[in-house]
Amino acid sequence: MNYFALASLELGLLGLLSGVVGTLIVLRRRSFFAVALSHATFPGGVVFAIAGLNVLLGQALFAVLLVLLMTALSRVRGQGRQVASGVVLSFGFALGTLLTALNPGLGIPVEALLVGSPLSVTMTDVIATAAVLVAALLLALSFGRRILLHTFDPLGYAAAGYRGWPIELVVSGVIAAGVVVAMPAVGAILGVAILIGPAAAARLIAPNALWIAPIAALLGVVSGIGGLWASRTFDIAAGGAVGLAAAAVFFLAFGVRAIWERARARRRAFETAGARA
Amino acid sequence: MDLDIGFLGAFQLPFMAHALLTIVVLAVAGGIVGLGISMRELEFISDGLVHAVFPGLVIGAALGGTEGLLPGAVVAALLASLLFTVLGRRATVGNDAAIAVVLTGLFSLGVVLVSRQSGYVSQLQELLFGRLLTVTTAQLWQIVAVALVAALIMALSWRRQVYRAFDPAGFEAAGFSALRTDLALTVATALLVVAGVQALGVLMVIALLTVPMAISRLLTRRFALLVPIAIAVPLVAGVLGLWFAFDLSLRAGVNVSAGALVVLLLVAAYLLVVVATAPLRLGGRGDRGGRGRRSIGRERPAGEASA
Repeated sequence: MNYFALASLELGLLGLLSGVVGTLIVLRRRSFFAVALSHATFPGGVVFAIAGLNVLLGQALFAVLLVLLMTALSRVRGQGRQVASGVVLSFGFALGTLLTALNPGLGIPVEALLVGSPLSVTMTDVIATAAVLVAALLLALSFGRRILLHTFDPLGYAAAGYRGWPIELVVSGVIAAGVVVAMPAVGAILGVAILIGPAAAARLIAPNALWIAPIAALLGVVSGIGGLWASRTFDIAAGGAVGLAAAAVFFLAFGVRAIWERARARRRAFETAGARA
Repeated sequence: MDLDIGFLGAFQLPFMAHALLTIVVLAVAGGIVGLGISMRELEFISDGLVHAVFPGLVIGAALGGTEGLLPGAVVAALLASLLFTVLGRRATVGNDAAIAVVLTGLFSLGVVLVSRQSGYVSQLQELLFGRLLTVTTAQLWQIVAVALVAALIMALSWRRQVYRAFDPAGFEAAGFSALRTDLALTVATALLVVAGVQALGVLMVIALLTVPMAISRLLTRRFALLVPIAIAVPLVAGVLGLWFAFDLSLRAGVNVSAGALVVLLLVAAYLLVVVATAPLRLGGRGDRGGRGRRSIGRERPAGEASA
């Protein structure tokens, strides 16, 4: 398979992953968590690149560490809820910077780690993405109802006698896995764009909650492949192009939603006027 | 070794003195603005502003070289603060996702623009990692001026910021404009980002905005002490970080980013404080302790109160 087909396959899979992972991030308001996690796994990649091992594996291991750290820090009382993400983000990024500076001349592809390079994606990366997609789908199918209940009615969930932490664990794990497999193609800074953008757009235009995931998957594939196409046509950085495409899809959905709401408000005003007359 | 000039001698070297002054200015302004961010839980919006400044830097550098960096960053920061204030106020569920999309979108714009230029990789790294040890006199004055404006905005709107943070309903009922107060805070944050970005790099500024105040809030419950502690901590971390960077380049001959060292020391200080104060927190688990803690800042994210 040539490198462009491989890149298209990878971005297509990531787009589909947005349907599961992105939807979870958006509905459960874990955006800052996802952004911090993706920025902060950068040193894991650097360490494994220095050691000559698979970068993705290093990022995955470091992501596990960071999730544990963030979970522990978010339990610290007397500080804001966003502090844990802020601290972990700064920590990971500074550590990555330091490690790259300490190892000059090793040829660590820093810019590839940070903003991604879809065209150098390997078959292993694609298989990892596919595996995460399948696992996330299976988890969503088996825990889906409970996750939905916990997301929309945490009190009812607790009252029904369920425990909260397994859901938190599953959700954090799925988000972390999604963020990590997005990295080879879209990088540590923009990796979340392909996951969150389509799902946030889908949330704006979906008629009800059940439609969010399929619409997000569709929009995800569109923005992934669209970004790749734009990158080749206009000769721009592919990671950036995908990030821009995801943002464009979101703003398009925002516009559609605004027009739709205005039309509905006008129709309602017309109906009330008619009823009064 | 005649270059071994000791701790104080090192800071008499012009480039070290510049770096030290930069740290002092950023620490003071960061402490003042940081309280505003912490009270309103605007850490994610700060992260958004940090990313949004990046395309401004790229466009500024493309148009005017090094001198264009600051104007570009200021314009981008002001536009972004308007955008994020509006996004933060929209009470629709999930505005954090909107912030994430705008943040990555703007950063993508910067990456795309940089990738069209020659020397893409080195330029990108320079902007991302900062150059604390090569701050020029002109840059230092720019940093002082921008940080001063940020601190001044906070000082002038101080009483309103505190009122808005602690009693949003009362604030609006008293007839104050929430939009104007929010905008003042976001603009001050954005200007601080601009001041810090050239020295610390695009992404590490976020540490300056959030970590010192997080440490301060763990150490004290007295409102009057929050800002002084939040200024003192990055000062110590800054001096030590600069010294380590200097020492490392002297002894080991490696050029490490001084900004990264400063940030790592800040995070280390935070973790130390978390561990050290853990017994106190666990001891004060009573009802009263819980409520006292919560009195600083609101439990709801910004924007929800206006719903």
